[in-house]
Amino acid sequence: MAEKSGEVVQGTLDMLILKTLALESMHGYGIAIRIEQVSKGVFKVNAGSLFVALQRLQRAGLIRSEWKDSENNRRAKYYSLTALGRKRLDSETRDWGKQVAAIARILEAS
Amino acid sequence: MRLLHSIAAGLQSLVRRKKTEQELDEELGAFLALAAEEKMKCGMSRKDSLRAVRLERGNLEVSKEIVRSVGWESFVATCWQDLLYAARALRKSPSFTFVAVLTLALGIGANTAIFSVVYGVLLQPLPYRDSAGLILLNETTPRVGTVSVSYPNFLDWRAENSQFSQMAAVSGVGFNLAGVNQPEVIRGQAVSPNFLSLLGVKPFLGRDFDPSEEKSGASPVLLLSYSLWQSHFGADPSALGRTIMLDGRGYSIVGVLPADFRWPEKVDVLEPIGVWAAQNSRDATEREARGDLVVLGRLAPVATFAQARSEMEGIASRLAKQYPGSNDQFGVALKPIRDAFVSEMRPAILALFGAVIFVLLIACANVANLLLVRGSGRTREIALRLALGATRKRIIRQMLTESFLLALVGGGIGLFLGFAGIRGMTDMIGADRLSGATIEIKGVVLLFAVGIVAMATFVFGLVPALRSTKTDVLANLKEGSAGAGSGALQNRLRGVFVVTELALSLILLTGAGLMMKSLHLLLAVSPGFQPDRVLRMEMDLRSAQYDKDPAVRNFWERVLNQVSPLPGVQSASVGTNPPMTDSHDRADITIEGMPLPKPGSFPHPDIHVISAGYFATMDIPLLNGRTFTQGDNENAPRVGIINARLAKEFFPNGDAVGKRFMLGRPSETEAPKWIEIVGVVGDTRLYGLTNPARFEIYAPFLQWPPNDVDLLVKTSVDPAAMTSAIRGAIASIDKDQPIFAVSTMNQLVSDSVSTRRFTLILLGLFSGLALVLAAIGIYGVISYSVAQRTRDIGIRIALGASRRDVLHDVLGLGLRLTVVGLIFGLIGALAVTRVLSSLLYGVHSTDALTFTSVSLVLIVVAVLASYLPARRAMRIDPIVALRYE
Repeated sequence: MAEKSGEVVQGTLDMLILKTLALESMHGYGIAIRIEQVSKGVFKVNAGSLFVALQRLQRAGLIRSEWKDSENNRRAKYYSLTALGRKRLDSETRDWGKQVAAIARILEAS
Repeated sequence: MRLLHSIAAGLQSLVRRKKTEQELDEELGAFLALAAEEKMKCGMSRKDSLRAVRLERGNLEVSKEIVRSVGWESFVATCWQDLLYAARALRKSPSFTFVAVLTLALGIGANTAIFSVVYGVLLQPLPYRDSAGLILLNETTPRVGTVSVSYPNFLDWRAENSQFSQMAAVSGVGFNLAGVNQPEVIRGQAVSPNFLSLLGVKPFLGRDFDPSEEKSGASPVLLLSYSLWQSHFGADPSALGRTIMLDGRGYSIVGVLPADFRWPEKVDVLEPIGVWAAQNSRDATEREARGDLVVLGRLAPVATFAQARSEMEGIASRLAKQYPGSNDQFGVALKPIRDAFVSEMRPAILALFGAVIFVLLIACANVANLLLVRGSGRTREIALRLALGATRKRIIRQMLTESFLLALVGGGIGLFLGFAGIRGMTDMIGADRLSGATIEIKGVVLLFAVGIVAMATFVFGLVPALRSTKTDVLANLKEGSAGAGSGALQNRLRGVFVVTELALSLILLTGAGLMMKSLHLLLAVSPGFQPDRVLRMEMDLRSAQYDKDPAVRNFWERVLNQVSPLPGVQSASVGTNPPMTDSHDRADITIEGMPLPKPGSFPHPDIHVISAGYFATMDIPLLNGRTFTQGDNENAPRVGIINARLAKEFFPNGDAVGKRFMLGRPSETEAPKWIEIVGVVGDTRLYGLTNPARFEIYAPFLQWPPNDVDLLVKTSVDPAAMTSAIRGAIASIDKDQPIFAVSTMNQLVSDSVSTRRFTLILLGLFSGLALVLAAIGIYGVISYSVAQRTRDIGIRIALGASRRDVLHDVLGLGLRLTVVGLIFGLIGALAVTRVLSSLLYGVHSTDALTFTSVSLVLIVVAVLASYLPARRAMRIDPIVALRYE
């Protein structure tokens, strides 16, 4: 399976999921759609990577999940942020900002 | 916290696998359905939209696999899967599994058994505090070697040294304990009061000795061993303060030793050196008296062994100048306590440990070979799996799991074999040679076995796994080219394994051969007496009734009178320090008219006090003059008999008989008490078959009545069967007199070579095993190459090659492997057999004859092993062969 352009930058998917869940609890598909929409289609989220990330985040205690009925009466697993997850999101956002600024400076310098 | 979370979640998904799996299915299903619905809203058909989602979002099954492999539990789960798969695969090829498991079980079993000996004897901590700092000190003299320390010298050592924080004297003692049923002899040590605290041992019950108990004349007290306390006092704590009668004297019990106490073997009692000094006043006061005393020292915190040794040597040489009469040429020998306790066994045990490691390596090489064969049979299966997307890592892991399972089962069976082997080995070594060490399967040994299994897994599993997975997928998938490309390399690899096996086997065979030759030479050495059908038992007259010479003389005469007429007795005699018993008395002698040497250089023979029949009982040949008679009694002139070596050294003209000598060195205050030499007898190997004869002197017991004597009985029947009759006869004289150290002289001779015999038996066993394994190895390689080349051989035969050519060709391959293995083996053997040198007798570690014969054995076995498949190759029917495949 060759990497397609439009795949989420490695390591940033966790952050994007946390950010998405910061607004409201959501099921897997919802998260994928939201990321695609907000990124205006730049990022496409693969089911495999999405659920791996969700499981990893849940193991780390950053998100929690429960089964609920979705808007069209389908049972789905809804994920929401824990307090720990909120804290992590804050710190990652800060770090990301710094990194982006730094990279931008490096790119401009040359 | 996070870790805990992860472990909990992992466990949950492991335990409720089905539920986890279901949830994953449902969640992914929902995802897919939602995505498809979205597409369908845009007007796509259901089928098209599902297909589109799959393309866009990835295959659902693959996604599931990815999600599953996130948690650590998936590792466990796949391991379990691999294990089940491996078990199934192994069950499907029972003959391979049988050979591999058996090979490993033998290798691992032998290792476990020998390691438990290594651990018990060499590694297990001694039951003392910080035993690395404990040093045992002896005196040395060039005439004899290591000897006991005299008590006055010990006192000076202790006063003058600065490198030891403490020193204690330890003197072996024995007591007669008049028991309820049978009188017995108990063994113990008379020790300086600081002995136990120096060792860091606290009494289990009661008190340690008090410093005041070092002074001669201290009231008799003792510490009981734990086992004596159990057996004689029913483990009753009120035994403290009770009195126990030893040699007819009352000793008050002040304490009980811990159960694991040993020095170096079992100790029944400890008494303070002050009590000993009162009863052995000569030993305690005369510098010349070197009884049975060693000195224990604890190095001071800053001192090193070398410093301590040089300081002690300085003290000894000062004492030698100050007291030339007793100390001329006497030095001091220091030994770490561990070395002192196991010195004799160490080289044998280490050699055997090396040998079993070789056996294990051979076993591993053999199994690796089997796995390679198996691997090449599975090339297509592996290629298929690689093609289907399995990673190489995954397949290697699975193959290693299979190896691990083999090693595990082999190890389990090996452990059982080890258990059995340990019992056999402790019997073979004999308890008295173990120096009190216990050999059993302990936690450490189990750990060692686990380590071996893990190591073996990688040693024999990794190479085949790497080889088999490194294949050209395409080539192997094609019919007809079954692994032909990698075949050459594989064969070379298998050749390497076989050469290794052959080389290691040759080294083991050489070791066994050298030991066999030594033992053969050693057993051919005449001990100087005839040990067949001679029974030996020791008695020590210690109670007050035997304080006077006439009583002692009378007792032994009565013993001889009672025992001689017993049916089955050919001759009975008494004698002190018979050969191979390790007990000895030595003294300086002065031969009349000889130029007087320095005090330390006087002849220093071993002395035996014997009854008239001794030479007849022992069958020691009389070379000159006469033996003793009943007339050589206390009223007759003193007479003595010397051995051939002494006669040759001092009377080279053969005129010893009639000459005179005296015990000790000439003194200005006393007139010499001359002893006339009346006979010369043959030499005996007093200290075992390997040790050359020493100077010996015999004196009649009526003139020098001894208390501690061996009764020697030559029987016309099985000597062991006579024991109880003789015991009865002695009990009728004194029912409280214990008899101990009952054995046959044959046993003593055989014990004197027991370490060598034990080494030989085990080395022989191991090298035999190695040879069989190597033969299997070479057989396997040749068979395989014949099977692989069936078609070629068929064509050659069809084209007119003679069967002889084919035979030569195949045998040639076997021979080439053998010769290469032989060369490496010989080089290895030359380098390695040196470790055996201290165990060899009359053979050099590079003995040409041994090397040649074991090489021949190896060649014959290897050629035979390759002949079987070669014969099969010779009989290949070209028509069948060409139709093959």
